[in-house]
Amino acid sequence: MTRPATARWSLLLFVLPALAIYVMFAVAPLVSSVVMSFFNADRTLGSVFVGFENYIYLFTEPVVSARFWNALVNNIKYFAIHVLVEVPIGLLMAALLTSGALRRSEGVYRTILFIPATLSVVIVGFIWRLIINPLWGVVGFPLLGNQMTALPTISLMGVWQYVGIPMIFLYSALLAVPNDLVEASRLDGASPWRTFWDIKFPLIVPQFGLIVILTFIWTFNGFDLVFALNGSAPGPNYSTDILGTYFYRTFFGSSGQVADLDLGATVATVIFTIMLLVTALYFWLVQRRLRAHTV
Amino acid sequence: MRRISIGVTTGALVLGVSLAAMTSAVMAQSVTLTLGSWRTEDLAVWQDQVLPAFEATHPDINVEFAPINTNEYNAAIQSQIEGGTGPDLITCRPFDVNNEWIGRGYFSELDGLAGMANFTDTAKAAWTFEGHTYCVPVAAVLAGFYYNVDIFNELGLTPPTTTAEFIAVLQAIQDSGKYTPLAMGSADSWQLAYNGLYSVGPAYWKGEEGRLGLIDGTKKLTDPEFVEAFKAFAAWRPFLPPGQEALAYPDMTQLFTLGRAAILPDGSWNIKQVTSTGLNVGVFGPPAVEAGGQRYLQEMPDMAIGINAASPNQEAARTFLDWVAGPEFQQIYVNTAPGFFAMSNQAVTYDNALAQNFADLKTGASLTPRLALDRLSAGTPPLDDEIWRLLQLMMTTDTTAEQATQELQAGLESWYGPQKGN
Amino acid sequence: MTSLAGYKPKPVADDRRWTAERVLVHVILLGFVVLALGPIFVVIINSLKTTPAIFGGPFSLPTAETFSLDGYVRVFTRGNFIANYSNSLIVTVSAVVLTVLLSTLAAYALVEYRLTALVPILTGLFLIGVMLPIRLGTIPIIKIMVAWGIMDTLLALILVYTAMSIPLAVTLMMTYFRTVPTELKEAARMDGANEWQTFLIALPLVRPGLAAVATVTMLPIWNDLWFPLILAPGKANQTVTLGVQQFVGQFLNDYPALLAALTLGAMPLVLLFTVFSRQFISGLSQGYSK
Repeated sequence: MTRPATARWSLLLFVLPALAIYVMFAVAPLVSSVVMSFFNADRTLGSVFVGFENYIYLFTEPVVSARFWNALVNNIKYFAIHVLVEVPIGLLMAALLTSGALRRSEGVYRTILFIPATLSVVIVGFIWRLIINPLWGVVGFPLLGNQMTALPTISLMGVWQYVGIPMIFLYSALLAVPNDLVEASRLDGASPWRTFWDIKFPLIVPQFGLIVILTFIWTFNGFDLVFALNGSAPGPNYSTDILGTYFYRTFFGSSGQVADLDLGATVATVIFTIMLLVTALYFWLVQRRLRAHTV
Repeated sequence: MRRISIGVTTGALVLGVSLAAMTSAVMAQSVTLTLGSWRTEDLAVWQDQVLPAFEATHPDINVEFAPINTNEYNAAIQSQIEGGTGPDLITCRPFDVNNEWIGRGYFSELDGLAGMANFTDTAKAAWTFEGHTYCVPVAAVLAGFYYNVDIFNELGLTPPTTTAEFIAVLQAIQDSGKYTPLAMGSADSWQLAYNGLYSVGPAYWKGEEGRLGLIDGTKKLTDPEFVEAFKAFAAWRPFLPPGQEALAYPDMTQLFTLGRAAILPDGSWNIKQVTSTGLNVGVFGPPAVEAGGQRYLQEMPDMAIGINAASPNQEAARTFLDWVAGPEFQQIYVNTAPGFFAMSNQAVTYDNALAQNFADLKTGASLTPRLALDRLSAGTPPLDDEIWRLLQLMMTTDTTAEQATQELQAGLESWYGPQKGN
Repeated sequence: MTSLAGYKPKPVADDRRWTAERVLVHVILLGFVVLALGPIFVVIINSLKTTPAIFGGPFSLPTAETFSLDGYVRVFTRGNFIANYSNSLIVTVSAVVLTVLLSTLAAYALVEYRLTALVPILTGLFLIGVMLPIRLGTIPIIKIMVAWGIMDTLLALILVYTAMSIPLAVTLMMTYFRTVPTELKEAARMDGANEWQTFLIALPLVRPGLAAVATVTMLPIWNDLWFPLILAPGKANQTVTLGVQQFVGQFLNDYPALLAALTLGAMPLVLLFTVFSRQFISGLSQGYSK
């Protein structure tokens, strides 16, 4: 074992470069934005400390708060569709890839199925807009123009793009399942279906949980796809507005709306707090239990 | 082996960083002004025509046109200026958004600029704040109706002059079964307002009379003239293409330029795109309410240029703006960017026939800017955004003109002083 | 144990016959392949057609009459693709290399010296970073870049992307370092190796992890639109994604050129990924197998 003094010094030397860049260019700017949420910019007085006034405004002003709750609910749906569609399909792909039925083609499938994840949203938005366009595309129904279907449609575009990510996480987890267990189950006469659910899946539950919570973080940080398709006041009737676009519109304004930096910082702090609470709760309640269960 | 790979890694890194540093060193020339704009479409106009003309007479000043996509323009400019940087010259949005920027101290004041004498107060109004002007007006845009002349000839139609004629024309095209009457979709809600309601509406609310009435609180959106205007716009709905709920602005242009739709309600700024396929295109203005009635036309102060208060090149920037305010610039700009109209009080001729047609529509028409951008959108909820949203609802759901105007009025009353307690 | 053990599962059955089960697996996967590649294919075929042909039949292949390379020609004459590619490469490669380098050092230390009281705090700090919406810090970031005099340079982008990627990279790399046997490091120290040398001995064992981290870091950096727009908008510093986006704005109705620009913008990362993909998978599986 290294001596404590050496350990402390080495720790500092090794961690410092990463920590310095991370703190300087990510943590510090974010903290100063959070601080901003407790101030109000005033044309004559400069910034004035206002305590929780911005937060009170956010949750009591009728239009502002109604749009916030709308965006939060939409974001929950956006997350739910990803979890209910993207993760299961990713799992199915991973299960097929590791089913033992493939030989050389395994690598080819794996690479191809991941390709959409490497595309930028500019392309993804453009492709799908064209494909589902009622005039030139394959779908006659105005999917993006209907309040009921617009959000699920955009979510499914996101699923199309990112399904490779849960696939690859779960795939690599399945690869690590010891072969002798699988073989034993097979010799017992279990079907591949039973083998998967009885032997393999229980072993990858922690990774499955991890990809669910990462999907939560990614969808609650979501912005690009909605913005690329529907701009910063995503319609129809804000039915595709999620927290990311709500924040953007508040912080930077839109062509018809004046920007409000302090309120924007407030919105972002609230979003971050929600994510932190849910993630912490998850790790505290679920992930810990899952690990304890499987170890 | 291990050492080699680390050496290679570090080498690549150093190379990357030093290349990055070199690129920035090249940029650090004496007086190069950057001009921020949301008109990505105009890159060639500025690069090949406007700026060379300026640089020919001002060899010591270089101007670089640096457009940002419309969607991200406000956000990018705000972030950069709040951070203490940004382009030397900023293209100014009209009215409320720009007033907010002026209030935050983004611009240098231009009161003493000689070229400002070329503009009337009306022309400067969209960029004047508390009595001072901060941007040199560049161009105004008009909105009207492009029509496919060949289709009109084939069906024996003439451009309508009254609301009744307009609907009759749309019906005739519909009945022919060959073409979509109106190339319009509801996915981009801004253009329902800018190219739709704000075009046909002024005939009902009597242009400036109605607009200023809303601003000073003597009129309400629930007044009959506004409700009628919303109804006149809603009457378009049966004539839109199938699936219009999900059609975006580029789809509309495409539908029209491919010759599949007869009429495109659009702004003058789209002249180039609309004529790009060599289509035989004409233009007519918004119809009057009834025969012999007053015609109205939307003339929107659209674009102006101001100086970033944080720019180190104030003198050069003023020199450039003085040139922009003069006749040479106006003449070049309006003719290389057809569809943008000079705002100065000096005579300008338009080479582009369609642009000239648009300009001719002004004769005899009463001009008015977009309804809700001046003062009425400086609070929450902003009236302009709300109009976009409710027009979209009217075109895609069963929301009526009465419901829409009621909701708009309630939103406006919730924050706008002169409308409170009416 | 080598990094490839447990990577390639041995086929459960040795028979090479096309059983119904194998056919079914192929059929389902081929279905997914069509879904994944179909839309991309649509973009590519349409980029090779004339505008009327695109809208006349968006899903038909180019024929002799409709085939046209005009889109590509316009992209190369009006766009700035060569410069944009090199900017994107410089930014992406530098940021990825920096991220991998710094995160590896940090992750090693956080695993190795875990008795120090600081470690849980630091680990937590990095973990929180995984969910930070960095866009929120835009204005303070600009202020820093202005103060440092590196506004509108690629360096500004490299620094922000590195800061943005470090949290996930450190968190992932820690899982890899946990798999390095303690005996190996202790043996090295017995032989008189100092801490740096011990680190170098552990490094080869986490090599797959380096590839995994490089891949996950690369995707969002290459495809980011926001920071190039804000921190390096100058023409000389434009990245591919920003260039494509500007092109979309400039040629709003020139679909062949747009589709050509989109195709060209996507190509490099697809190629890079294909190359990295093998390493990436073995990296990920190594990380989870312990």
